[in-house]
Amino acid sequence: MAARTGERDRCVTGVEGLDTILYGGIPRTNTVLLTGSCGTGKTSLALEFLIHGAMKGENSLFISVTENSEKLLANIIPYKFFDKGLIKSGRLVFIDLPIMYERLGLNKSELSMEEIDLLVSSLTSLAEELGTRRLVIDSVTSVCYKLKTSEKIRDFILKISKSLSDLDCTSILVGELPAGSESYSSFGVEEAIADGIIIMANMERRGDLLRTLQVIKMRGTMHSRARYVLDLTPMGVLLVPLLKGGSTA
Amino acid sequence: MSPVVSAQKIADELAETPPSSAVSLTMSVDNYLDVIRGVVDLFANRRQMDTIYVTATISSDSIRRVLEALDIDSSNVYFVDCISQIMMGATSAQQDDRTTLVESPTMLENLMLKIEYLIRRSQSKDKLVVIDSINSLAIHNSNWILSEFLHILVSGLRSREAYTVILTVEEHSTPELNNLINLVCDHGVRAGKEEAE
Repeated sequence: MAARTGERDRCVTGVEGLDTILYGGIPRTNTVLLTGSCGTGKTSLALEFLIHGAMKGENSLFISVTENSEKLLANIIPYKFFDKGLIKSGRLVFIDLPIMYERLGLNKSELSMEEIDLLVSSLTSLAEELGTRRLVIDSVTSVCYKLKTSEKIRDFILKISKSLSDLDCTSILVGELPAGSESYSSFGVEEAIADGIIIMANMERRGDLLRTLQVIKMRGTMHSRARYVLDLTPMGVLLVPLLKGGSTA
Repeated sequence: MSPVVSAQKIADELAETPPSSAVSLTMSVDNYLDVIRGVVDLFANRRQMDTIYVTATISSDSIRRVLEALDIDSSNVYFVDCISQIMMGATSAQQDDRTTLVESPTMLENLMLKIEYLIRRSQSKDKLVVIDSINSLAIHNSNWILSEFLHILVSGLRSREAYTVILTVEEHSTPELNNLINLVCDHGVRAGKEEAE
């Protein structure tokens, strides 16, 4: 189910405000870096992207790196539109990457180039087997800790992005940032390769802490570059423009 | 000055405005109860509208008690309370299915988000959003950000065909605040003390 806007087919995220910011959705097959510090709503937004995809009949895959998927499911906001049947029917699949590491024998603290290839091909095969059209890796930063060098990180992200794109899959790589970070990624490599960057942050204004979202880049579409304030609600992620009269930056 | 405007007259004037209207309702402090009856009971309840009541002056708990005292059905009234938490008076019991707390009246974006959430959740065809009051919000916010807030809020509510009623207490208002409201509202209802004829 893709909306056609301009030249590229769109993957409608289902988050109304975000689709408006992106003039209709993420250009299909893009790999987007969704980055931010803790408590900014990255996982909730990524999950909503998958749930809406699954509801539209697009097979969706969540690859959890940091959190056990059962715990994750228990903790997510009880979205009013979420239907557990999506999981039962296989439209929405959760995979724990640590289990995959174990099965592939990738238990070392640093992966070699060959092992990176093995990881990429295994993830791609899984996505292909499941007919995945939407994929989230949460978080890519945790994967990068096993890659160590910029070359390996670049190699991994380039290969996984290309493989998923070839499968007609739109993907979100969740990135973790330390609080107050001014860069877009932990290793300084991820943002250069991704087709899009969405940054989520905690913004303090006169003692109030606001959750914000800003699209920094998105290949294949025009988009707003303004900062928005968001709320995580049982109706999903809601967005409104940041009022500039009170902006400190 | 003659006696204050009646609740029925307030409701009649609101009824003359088309859906998606933004109405500035200027009232006297003496007329608060009539305004609540006129807006919530005689206007919104009679039309089976959901009312989203933004409280910045007194807590939602107090407004609820006022509605009870006036014998007004509050089953279709939902509160966005942006004063209870800042007053440190809110308990978890106060945040329920019908009441959403905003941490502070300075968090205007969050206020808009909570209104948006309640509008999306509402099953009613017609919706009314009451801002009580612009004077209280002006205590915590500059006119610049308040103006931006009202513009975005009212435009958004218009697109959802919701009525907006912005309460202004005439005794506490300023020409700047009145100008700011006039910029976003298309109708004005005076519910202060009536001028002597």
